[in-house]
Amino acid sequence: MKVAFPYMGTTVIYKKLIELLGHDVVEPPEPTQRTIELGVKYSPEFACFPLKVVLGSYIEAVELGATTIVTSGGHGPCRAGFYGETHKKILRNLGYDVDIIVFDDYKSDKTGTIKKVRRLKNGKSWFYLWKSLKTVYSMAKSLDNIEKRIEKMRAYEVNRGECTKAWQTIKTWFDEVKNIEDVRKTEGKSNKLLGEIKLIEVPEPNKIKIGIVGEIYVVMEQSINLRIEEMLGGLGAEVERSQYLSKWIDFNLLPKGIGKEHELNILKKGEKYIQEIIGGHAKQTVGHIVDYAERGFDGVVHLMPFACLPELVSQSIIPAISKEHNIPVITLSIDEQTGAANTLTRMEAFMDLIKSIKRTKIA
Amino acid sequence: MKIGIPRALLYYYYHPLWKTFFEKLGFEVVTSGKTTKELIDKGIKASVPEICVPIKIFNGHVLELLEAGVDYIFIPRMMSTRKGGFYCPKFMGLPDLVRYSIPGAKDKILFPKVTSLTDDISDFKIYSKMGDALGASKKQIKAALLDGQKAWIEFRRITKEGYTALEVLDYVETGKKPQNPIKDYRVTIGLMGYVYDVYDEFVSMGIVDKLREMGVLVETFEMMDENLLDAELSDMNKRLFWTFSNKLLAAGYKFFKDGHIDGIIHVTAFGCGPDSLIGKIMELDSNEFGKPFMTIRVDEHTGENHLLTRIEAFIDMIYREKVKAKKEA
Repeated sequence: MKVAFPYMGTTVIYKKLIELLGHDVVEPPEPTQRTIELGVKYSPEFACFPLKVVLGSYIEAVELGATTIVTSGGHGPCRAGFYGETHKKILRNLGYDVDIIVFDDYKSDKTGTIKKVRRLKNGKSWFYLWKSLKTVYSMAKSLDNIEKRIEKMRAYEVNRGECTKAWQTIKTWFDEVKNIEDVRKTEGKSNKLLGEIKLIEVPEPNKIKIGIVGEIYVVMEQSINLRIEEMLGGLGAEVERSQYLSKWIDFNLLPKGIGKEHELNILKKGEKYIQEIIGGHAKQTVGHIVDYAERGFDGVVHLMPFACLPELVSQSIIPAISKEHNIPVITLSIDEQTGAANTLTRMEAFMDLIKSIKRTKIA
Repeated sequence: MKIGIPRALLYYYYHPLWKTFFEKLGFEVVTSGKTTKELIDKGIKASVPEICVPIKIFNGHVLELLEAGVDYIFIPRMMSTRKGGFYCPKFMGLPDLVRYSIPGAKDKILFPKVTSLTDDISDFKIYSKMGDALGASKKQIKAALLDGQKAWIEFRRITKEGYTALEVLDYVETGKKPQNPIKDYRVTIGLMGYVYDVYDEFVSMGIVDKLREMGVLVETFEMMDENLLDAELSDMNKRLFWTFSNKLLAAGYKFFKDGHIDGIIHVTAFGCGPDSLIGKIMELDSNEFGKPFMTIRVDEHTGENHLLTRIEAFIDMIYREKVKAKKEA
């Protein structure tokens, strides 16, 4: 079984899990212009952007020989929960022979889920599966910690691009990991590598901190969001995202009552503006903006795919939050038409605005 | 006290219930006027650019009601009317969206949370919390809901006889019984579309009347029995999440299979998320069933002549095929 997966964020993590279970992994290439064009061509015109990109990346994976695709499902009301079914239909119609295994909400289909797990388990014991999951989870945690550190460092690096280069190296190191012990060693090695990067000293009050919030795919996938983190880092801002894979696992996959305090706290902060969970990450988005404002961040970049249903609700409400909490927020809606130069100009203007607010505050 | 109900979105499905309910409680119900160009323009200015046309129109109606000086505007939070089903995220967040984006609306919105297992949303639990704001007792609310429920059930019953929502809303309000749907027709069309697209005469430019004038019998999802519709989707791997979208899709499948339906027209508003998926599913499946299928996407710019030309061509094509098939038979 040649297994592929949707491309989002630090893919080395999913790759590792499938590899540990003894499958051949077909890693879909990082989305490029071609991926986007393929996806746009075969997707419904008004579908949201992630559906299109993921379709494109599936087609590329199938071209590379994948026979099975593993992905997560959902129970709505955001369209993302129906991606699996839509992709199946479109790929079948295009004549691609590929099996898509969608992991839906465990509670709604227990036997189905167990069947799917058995298939992927590939004859390994349940204990082995548990061990593999633990390894991959610790890998996700440790990669996220490293990435968070890089997101801060990038603003101050002496040699442009050094952090990003180190990040690439670190990901290849993690690709070699076999067990939890390896994860620990690699994390240590990675931190040492980062420690060697030369940084400019900036006094604390002059540091600019920007939070990135929004829909999970465009927030996590740098090839789609115009490498916004690198862009902002290059402009001298520390960034922090609202979404990290390990946090997503904590909130969505771990049993009740474990590791959810952070996310629940964020949801509570969003309660005033969006009372119910309306799908996607709309409520988290408004919660995170409030959270960043309270933690003294200087600004927030809100990312959403073009015409994303839940984020349109949060986008409508953001001006009110921005006013009440006195924090600048800029919304970027991303699709195949989004241009890097245009975005860079907007980000530069946004940074200028933040800097001038900061100056008047200090003065 | 004046309660405003926007003539938009689910007005076309639940108005008899809500209107009766508030009137029985002794309030004056102000329904906003029909959608006009000016109203849409105001709505567009108050909305984020990417949002779908129905929400922009809704915002326009809210602004009109605010200008009319109502005390409250009724914007229920539509969560679910079927087990495991939801509404589009924009419906679920609609009260929040209005409260924080329309100036002056914040403290004037009544937004009970609607979760129900069936389309009948006259359950006391949904409306009980509004009692404080309205100054009504439990008993009064219960009694008013009972009357509202009766009005709504009657509304649905007549709709299923083949009348459009507009005709029946008119009947429920004025008591004027609609004329029989046309008897002489040359083509039968299954019309897929949400009630707030098809029956907002500005958005759809009165597509139902236009079709009827061409001698077309029009069937829509709300003219069918809910349970029969639901059964259409039973062999679907995974249903859509959105209750009304499922109804639409179920109606679509029924139209595909039903021998007396000659063709299907899907009316969708610009920017509708759920419809983007339904449209693709229908498009892929229409090859399998070999039935003509056409999508009409409408927005605030759509020209009337353009629409007329397209449906005329579609109907003529179907009619010609029909005559040809008859001759050959």
